[in-house]
Amino acid sequence: MTSQTDDSGTAVFTGHTRPPIWRNTSVLKWLVQIVVLVAVLAVFWFLAAQARTNLSAKGIPVSYDWLDEPANIQLGEGIQTVDTEERRLTMSRALWVGMVNTLRIASIGIIVSTIIGIAVGIARLSKNWLARKVSSIYVETLRNVPVLVQIILWLAILGSLGKLTADSGPIPGWVIVSQKGISLPRVFLADGFYQFVSMVLVAMVPVWFVRRSLKRRQDREGGNTHATGFTLAALAVIAVVAWFANPVMAFLGPIFGSVESAWGSIPQGLMQLLLSVAALGGAVLWIRRFLDSRRTPAGLAKLIDDDWFRMIFAVVASLLAVLVVVRGWPGLSSWIINSGSDLFGVIADKFGDGRGSRPIDAMRPTLSEGRFVNYGPTGLTMTVFYASLFFGLVFYTSSFIAEIVRGGILAVPAGQSEAAAALGLSRGQALRKVVLPQAFRVVMPPLGNQYLNITKNTSLGIAVGFSEIVQVGQTVYNKNSQTLAVFSIYMVFYLACSLTISSVVNTINRRLAIVER
Amino acid sequence: MSIADQALTEEMASRRDMIVCRGVKKWFGDFQALAGVDVTVKDREVMVVLGPSGSGKSTLIRCINRLEVHQEGEIVVDGVEMSNDMRNIEKIRSEVGMVFQQFNLFPHLTVLDNITLAPIWVRKRARVEAEAKAMELLERVGIPEQANKFPGQLSGGQQQRVAIARSLAMEPKIMLFDEPTSALDPEMISEVLDVMKDLARGGMTMMVVTHEMGFAREVADRLVFMESGDVVEVGTPEHFFTNPREERTKLFLSQIL
Amino acid sequence: MSEVTVPAAQRAPEAESVSPGRWVRENLFSSVSNAIQTMFFSLVLLGLLRWVLGQIFSEEANWTSVATNMRLLFTYNYPTEQFVRIWFAAGALFLAVGASFAAWNLNPMVTVRRVGVALAGTGAVSLVVGLIAPDTTPSAVRTGFFVVGIGLVALALAVLKVVPEPHRRQIPFIGLLAGVAGVICGVLWFFPFGDYGFADGAPTAESGTIDSSTSLPVTVMFLIMIGTYLAGRALARMIDLGWLRRTMIGWWVIGPAFIVFLVLRDPEFDWGYVLAVDVPMGAAFALGGGALLYLLAKPSRSELARVIGALLVALALFHWVAAFFGWYPMLQKARFSFALIAVAALLAPTFAGERAARLRFAGGWFGFMVLFHWLLTGINTPSTLDIAAPPFLGGFVLTVSIAYYVMLASFPLGVLLSLARTSKMPIFRVLATTYIEVVRGVPLITVLFFFSIMLPLFLPGGMGISDLAAVFAGYTVFSAAYMAENIRGGLQSVRRGQYEAADALGLTTVQRTAFIVLPQALRVSIPNLVGQAIATFKETSLIAIVGGFDLLRIANSTIPNQPDFLGQKRPALFFISLVYFVVAYSMSRASRNLEERLQAGQAR
Ligand SMILES: Nc1ncnc2c1ncn2[C@@H]1O[C@H](COP(=O)(O)OP(=O)(O)OP(=O)(O)O)[C@@H](O)[C@H]1O
Ligand SMILES: [Mg+2]
Repeated sequence: MTSQTDDSGTAVFTGHTRPPIWRNTSVLKWLVQIVVLVAVLAVFWFLAAQARTNLSAKGIPVSYDWLDEPANIQLGEGIQTVDTEERRLTMSRALWVGMVNTLRIASIGIIVSTIIGIAVGIARLSKNWLARKVSSIYVETLRNVPVLVQIILWLAILGSLGKLTADSGPIPGWVIVSQKGISLPRVFLADGFYQFVSMVLVAMVPVWFVRRSLKRRQDREGGNTHATGFTLAALAVIAVVAWFANPVMAFLGPIFGSVESAWGSIPQGLMQLLLSVAALGGAVLWIRRFLDSRRTPAGLAKLIDDDWFRMIFAVVASLLAVLVVVRGWPGLSSWIINSGSDLFGVIADKFGDGRGSRPIDAMRPTLSEGRFVNYGPTGLTMTVFYASLFFGLVFYTSSFIAEIVRGGILAVPAGQSEAAAALGLSRGQALRKVVLPQAFRVVMPPLGNQYLNITKNTSLGIAVGFSEIVQVGQTVYNKNSQTLAVFSIYMVFYLACSLTISSVVNTINRRLAIVER
Repeated sequence: MSIADQALTEEMASRRDMIVCRGVKKWFGDFQALAGVDVTVKDREVMVVLGPSGSGKSTLIRCINRLEVHQEGEIVVDGVEMSNDMRNIEKIRSEVGMVFQQFNLFPHLTVLDNITLAPIWVRKRARVEAEAKAMELLERVGIPEQANKFPGQLSGGQQQRVAIARSLAMEPKIMLFDEPTSALDPEMISEVLDVMKDLARGGMTMMVVTHEMGFAREVADRLVFMESGDVVEVGTPEHFFTNPREERTKLFLSQIL
Repeated sequence: MSEVTVPAAQRAPEAESVSPGRWVRENLFSSVSNAIQTMFFSLVLLGLLRWVLGQIFSEEANWTSVATNMRLLFTYNYPTEQFVRIWFAAGALFLAVGASFAAWNLNPMVTVRRVGVALAGTGAVSLVVGLIAPDTTPSAVRTGFFVVGIGLVALALAVLKVVPEPHRRQIPFIGLLAGVAGVICGVLWFFPFGDYGFADGAPTAESGTIDSSTSLPVTVMFLIMIGTYLAGRALARMIDLGWLRRTMIGWWVIGPAFIVFLVLRDPEFDWGYVLAVDVPMGAAFALGGGALLYLLAKPSRSELARVIGALLVALALFHWVAAFFGWYPMLQKARFSFALIAVAALLAPTFAGERAARLRFAGGWFGFMVLFHWLLTGINTPSTLDIAAPPFLGGFVLTVSIAYYVMLASFPLGVLLSLARTSKMPIFRVLATTYIEVVRGVPLITVLFFFSIMLPLFLPGGMGISDLAAVFAGYTVFSAAYMAENIRGGLQSVRRGQYEAADALGLTTVQRTAFIVLPQALRVSIPNLVGQAIATFKETSLIAIVGGFDLLRIANSTIPNQPDFLGQKRPALFFISLVYFVVAYSMSRASRNLEERLQAGQAR
């Protein structure tokens, strides 16, 4: 006890005594946390050490060197399935093909399931009894059967279709549904597309300035300066000109080419230095900002434990980053250099002489030797594997999206649609102009979740042999036993996808929230 | 005589210090909520805290049982210093009862369980004993027949009386009230104030944040006026209501009276 | 526990019935757009129905493949002569179901009119199916659809005509369920399902023989469920309902473990070893630990208890480190028991009190230890069952058990993670958030692969883990992250004032969490948790990819590889879709009912 009471009743202090450690709450609070942290790190360290011993006992030390080796694996489909002289199919490129396949089916799946989901969700609230019943049967059936079962069922159903011949169809030559897959006519990006787009963008810059000044004048002087009309007209003219004149932009090819070689010639040490400086500088800046936020007119506010923790955490995290960059993974810098210059190389390839000028083109399905021609200028073809994964994912996910949409619409108070009706809007107009925009805000977060789910569920392609990232990765580690490395690639890839989707959703949400004010 | 001990009668001054705050400072991030508060509450004293919204009344009262942690200065409760010592915190918490504006009854427990929970698990009383005591307290606040209902089934005034009984069940030496009647409909305010007056008459040491000037005039031994995290004026009710010294106090009282 | 049932009488009474003609006019043809929708959706519906029927009754589909493999699909290779165990297990479960229905009074009322309309609707669908079924449909089946359709419609009309005021008269839902189940049981007696099965690897399909192995047990199960429900209702009037509920929760937590490991596996105890090692060890932990806890649970010894608890935690960790380096031998069971007694010692101040409270605490430990050692001994003992092609669990039983145990095991993990993520301690928050976000960011299948391939690599030499256990660990780790997020939602709904009131009363952090925060948070999370249970149930189908013999694997690879049913995938896949649907759909309906009741409870 730190005080006693004297005769007059006033407390007399005998000075502060520090409580013993086992009773000191602030010491205990941090002690417990640090003990747990150390225990967690120790467990990880033990496991990693164990894995390393077990793996080297089998003669397969963990490394990433194999990424540049030739793959020699069979890829079902993708942007590159065969090994050619000028374009080697290395392990890393095989994994890249898998990632592109994943992204391809995920992005199209997201779009299609959203469209179906919105339609079904609205039908569930229809005035028509049959519409409500049919859509609720759709939702309840599809969402209560596991998506994997649905995917495999689709594969079984599609596999039982007729053989692929020159005159299979529903509409021979145009729409083909067969054992080997489904093919439709499609529009695709042709040779001149990137030149076309860059030309339009360049030409739009002056137009944009004119538009701004027109708008200003309208604001100042009133009347109508036809800013939008002017912009649209200019756009149309530019598009027509660029359609034919886009080879002019071919000069961009060499420019990107030189950026490629400049980027590629950055020495590794410099890149390491830059990355380290960025990490440390970020930490320093963050701490300065933080301290500024704690500054009051009467000087710096008293910092509590948590404030100190944040600053220490920032320092430790940046030091760790430096350690990883310099010691832990020296290959990271060269990877950044190489992939950066690869990226510019790919862009440079899109421009140049000898290209046709047409930005887009359309084609019907083409067959060769009783198979679909999958890539290049041909119809839009889904292999059975792609199709079964696609149908399974899209129908399953759309049933959840329908429920989300329905919930969102119901969350808009009935007063809103009544008010819209009172203003004389029709039911459809009220839905489009009043209810849906408000429902959008409620719907966005769970919708983002569904988009994440569909992206992650593409990994079920492994059950039907669709060459997405997990399936390709499995083929790779079955070949070279680099399981740990492949799993780390899975993790980084999917976390990147999740982060992208959730940050897009968050941004949209923030926009909507600002609009509200 | 320090600012904390202003306006004490001879008799009062000779009593024991129950709550002593000296130079208490508290920041929320970069916002200073308490800027060096000095207050002393004597044994069996009823002290009413006044002040405009955001002046730090709740923060002060919450620092006294460590719902907020003060960052500078000292708080001593019944001779025990508020520090990081777990034993001191336990001791102070079990000696200080608190009643909230929003009642904060536990909605998943019956009234009886609400009252007996702490005596059983903190004071380690036998359940039978704790229940007998709880029924006695419910008699005292006038709602013994509600013992087996859930808080959601009671009126606001009844809930607040249960909350007072719940605090009293721990047999505290000090009771803190943070605007206990502000969330109540007018017709229920008096039933809660009556219970509080009873308590004061029974000799409980109380620190009360309230805007009920009638209560302050009738029951308070001293009043404290706070503004911007600082104590502006301390005095007896007559002093406050007849001729306050500070301009700010005058202005505030003229607005609410 | 608060009673949150809504008496049926309080629900809005159903509207007066309208004539069918008026109903059609109002709901299908009220306006031009409405009529267009009706046309459109009837075309869609007919097209879909026709397509599905075409798949089901296609010439290639051999439904005998499903009938023959019914046992495989449900219990995999469980030996037929031991089926009495399965029925015993099912009986125990039905008993629990019946008693739980009684304990929570899960018995909504349904109006007679709704029953009649449902009957008529089913009949009408049956008639339509009979009409549009493809030509390949066997004529007997088509006739069956007609007969059932006409029968149901007639029954519905009769019910609606005979019962006065059908929209007001209510019948209990359980009664309805019992009626339907009773009809099914009765049908089984008169129209036997047939004795399909395997003899020496070849399917023997003789339809028409009386199959006593299903009709009798099914009837007994049915009677057990109804019996326990009625008994439970009677009991509920006499005894404390809270007690019945606590018993049922206890049973649901330990019952399934008991059934799988002691009934279905039937451990072959080596009694000499059990008496020499297991019993003394269990007794030592139960009695010694109980005594220690009794001593520590004195209010004045709370600081001592914390110090001793911390020392015991260190000791328990040390045992694992020692095991890792192989310093000295020790049974895994003992290591777990040390960890548990350490946690219990740390909790002793929380449960401290006068003599009775201390005795309860020590007694609780004793009972828990006995059960724990008994179950662990059972798990570690070889099975008496001679199973032709292990694993002994497979099919529907595997699907359900994995889902159940994953939920059970990930629950405490999820609670801890959610508490850590919402805690004021920054390191805990960082750790929990990292775990949750990483796990939620990657697909389940990669987690399962990781565990089934990598887990053996992480274990020290000599330690092994069965495939199924590795997969189970993967599911649990995955599910815990989602569980944590669901519970976090509940935690965030607990108002700050609740924490403050608990603190002001002097409750410790553990007491505040256990008595105030979690009970409120979990109640709010129940609907989400049921949703997660459904998701987990569906996700068990991924076992098929990582090597277990669940429903999907059997339907997709085992059956199509049988010589008699080569390539027969669709019938079995359709069948298991139906099984999944029935379970998931009834769970989601139940949860919707529950949600309504909880909401009604809150409104009060
Ligand atoms: N947890 C917190 N985080 C940040 N600021 C806070 C917090 N609690 C209180 N404050 C701020 O501290 C100041 C004092 O708050 P306090 O609640 O003590 O005022 P009060 O005098 O009780 O006012 P009222 O009469 O409205 O209850 C206010 O400006 C408030 O915004
Ligand atoms: Mg306040």
